[in-house]
Amino acid sequence: MLASVDSCLLAGLEARLVEVQADSANGDSHFFLVGLAATSVKEARERVRSAIRNSGLAFPGRRLTVNLAPAELRKEGSALDLPIAVAIALTQLGKAPPSRSAFLGELALDGAVRHVDGVLVAARWLRKRGYERVFVPAADAAEAALVGGLEVIPCTSLGQVVAHLVRAEIIEAQRPTEPVVEQDTEATEFDLAEVHGQEEARRALEVAAGGGHHLLMSGSPGAGKTMLARCLPGILPPLELSEAFEVAQIRSLLGDLASNKPLDWTRPFRAPHHGVSMAGLIGGGAGLALPGEISRATHGVLFLDELAEFQASVLQALRQPLESGRVSITRSGGAVVYPARFMLVAATNPCPCGWAGDGQRNCRCTPSLIDAYQRRLSGPLLDRIDLKVGVKRVSLDELASEPKGEPSAPVRERVVHARRIQLERQGCLNAQLKPARLRQLAGLDPVARRTLERWAEQKGLTARGFHRAWRVARTSADLEGSDQIAERHILEALGYRLHDVAA
Amino acid sequence: MSQPDLEHLHVRGCWPLPARPRVAIVGSRRPSPYGEAVAEQLGSDLAKSNVIVVSGLALGIDAAAHRGALNGGGLTVAVMGTGVDVVYPAAHLRLAEEILAAGGALVSQFPDGTNPRRQNFPARNWTMAALSDVVVVVEAGEGSGALITADAAIHLHKEVMAVPGSIFSALSVGSHSLLRDGAGLVQNARDVVAVLGLGGEVLDDPLSTPNRLGFALLPDRDGIVAHLSDVLAASAADIARKLQLPVAEVLGRLTALELDGAVRRHGAGYVRALRRGKERA
Repeated sequence: MLASVDSCLLAGLEARLVEVQADSANGDSHFFLVGLAATSVKEARERVRSAIRNSGLAFPGRRLTVNLAPAELRKEGSALDLPIAVAIALTQLGKAPPSRSAFLGELALDGAVRHVDGVLVAARWLRKRGYERVFVPAADAAEAALVGGLEVIPCTSLGQVVAHLVRAEIIEAQRPTEPVVEQDTEATEFDLAEVHGQEEARRALEVAAGGGHHLLMSGSPGAGKTMLARCLPGILPPLELSEAFEVAQIRSLLGDLASNKPLDWTRPFRAPHHGVSMAGLIGGGAGLALPGEISRATHGVLFLDELAEFQASVLQALRQPLESGRVSITRSGGAVVYPARFMLVAATNPCPCGWAGDGQRNCRCTPSLIDAYQRRLSGPLLDRIDLKVGVKRVSLDELASEPKGEPSAPVRERVVHARRIQLERQGCLNAQLKPARLRQLAGLDPVARRTLERWAEQKGLTARGFHRAWRVARTSADLEGSDQIAERHILEALGYRLHDVAA
Repeated sequence: MSQPDLEHLHVRGCWPLPARPRVAIVGSRRPSPYGEAVAEQLGSDLAKSNVIVVSGLALGIDAAAHRGALNGGGLTVAVMGTGVDVVYPAAHLRLAEEILAAGGALVSQFPDGTNPRRQNFPARNWTMAALSDVVVVVEAGEGSGALITADAAIHLHKEVMAVPGSIFSALSVGSHSLLRDGAGLVQNARDVVAVLGLGGEVLDDPLSTPNRLGFALLPDRDGIVAHLSDVLAASAADIARKLQLPVAEVLGRLTALELDGAVRRHGAGYVRALRRGKERA
């Protein structure tokens, strides 16, 4: 007797179809599992045997062969437990599997169906391939139900699934999860109203948010760089549906979706420690790469504190994603591409001891040490950061008084408005404007042009620096609702440089 | 430390020096724009008065003093903590060549090929004091190497003088304590020349210049420059708060002033740019 059940294996944000075939034939009682199964899948044999017995079903007392096709594809993970068990049960009971259906899930020894990572990604892919029904762990049903046009059957136990298939006992399908855009309150956990002083950095933050520009803050320890960075998601517009879906898929792959709230509208904020490895930041792992911090930060903010302390090679690897908004990673199991379109917010001390330029404390670093420290930052990475701003420590008596800054809500309104203007005008944010489109879309009035050119001549601005200032000026004008870029916008944009850091 | 051995110096350039008064100008390697301007002006004015300017070829005050002396068309001597064939910092290679080209000298008590070593510099400071008649400290924070030079000068019975700064500036703490302890006050090159007792021998007589150190400020159209110091940096936010203006606007205006050369970036903030007066009457 032969039965065949469909499932799939994830490969990045795509998947590969896996057909699980079970055959029981005359012969000694034996259980063969073939089809390039990795250790985690070979172990399925033991889980499946126990789960079937403990679900009150008979395990075939004959020669049992389970084949995982295609045989050339290496199979990893525990999501094939459920399809294997279902295939064996169907063989035993002589029933045909349901058509256009796929199964995913890990089994416990008592037959319970447990969570697996990446159900949302798998469901989306199966829908694309024309599947109509997917059996998933009950814990993951809500995320699978985000995919419209797919019947999602939440499975709690193997016994329940088999009863449903064999005796048509009803399992109620998961109701589709309706994406409801909500103005969440969590983002205001860090509100600009709580920031003392720092008018310059606040303004830089607003401009960065307004055009999707990357931002570097330089200042002494305790100047409030981290607090400022944490305020950024709160002044960004909530995620669009397509963006939220992409964020959810990445989180699904990592098993990080809340089952009661699979879609989150808050922009991600990721702050990896400076000891982070290449695999941790960019993505990696054995076989096929899993998404790293840059992909988890997609459509949100990647905050790198102590930028100079990161390994140089790790920072180098940021170049491709900063340029293209995607990252492709090749591992032994093949290449995968993940989205990585984030706003980079970096923070650094001005020198190794941190006190250079601080009014109250003396810096003890030698000039050559400072030079070496800042050189670590320079080059291609800084070239891609449009805004650079110094953050000064706020005096103690100012800290003790009530902060008087503008709260996040009105800033967010201006940001949302400026971004809308940009999307209507050019279909992308200003930060993504290449020089050719900049010339076409961001007209400078003659005085502004003259000023920018004068600056470039006098200060030896590179072509990149020239366009950086131009782009930022475009955002400054958009925040004001001004169509033309005036001189004041250029002058402001040129102000977002640092004296010490080569820029 | 004791009397440095001036008989066995390693030298590149003109040696022995012409018999003219020698003044060492020393100070911080990371001075404020004020200190840098003072060192350059003093170097230049002293050179014009036929004084040989001695300094240490280091970053900051030293370099400004050498440069000033060169601008003033005078002789200048760099007393080095490395071998005379090892220019440190390397960024001053050009400066060293200009010093030689102008008829000055590079001298060192260390043999050729000696690389920079932390422990060599205090001894170099003693040599610098021994080679000079007067040591002028421009900006020296607590524990600055310039104070070692001043100390050596006292032990070697040379005159020590100091330039005052802002009481808010950490860079002037050392200079001020020297002044309190009896160092001569330097407000201009004339003060130094008076101590040297040159009197009528001064060629380009700074005594005739009423404009003392002779800095000119550019017209302050926005009223922003008035809020800037030439020692301590103020951020755009500080000024915006004082003037009750949006920070974006102040940042823009500061950029415009920077373009005109009226203000300069310093650390994370801005300072007033000091400019030499045109031609001093």
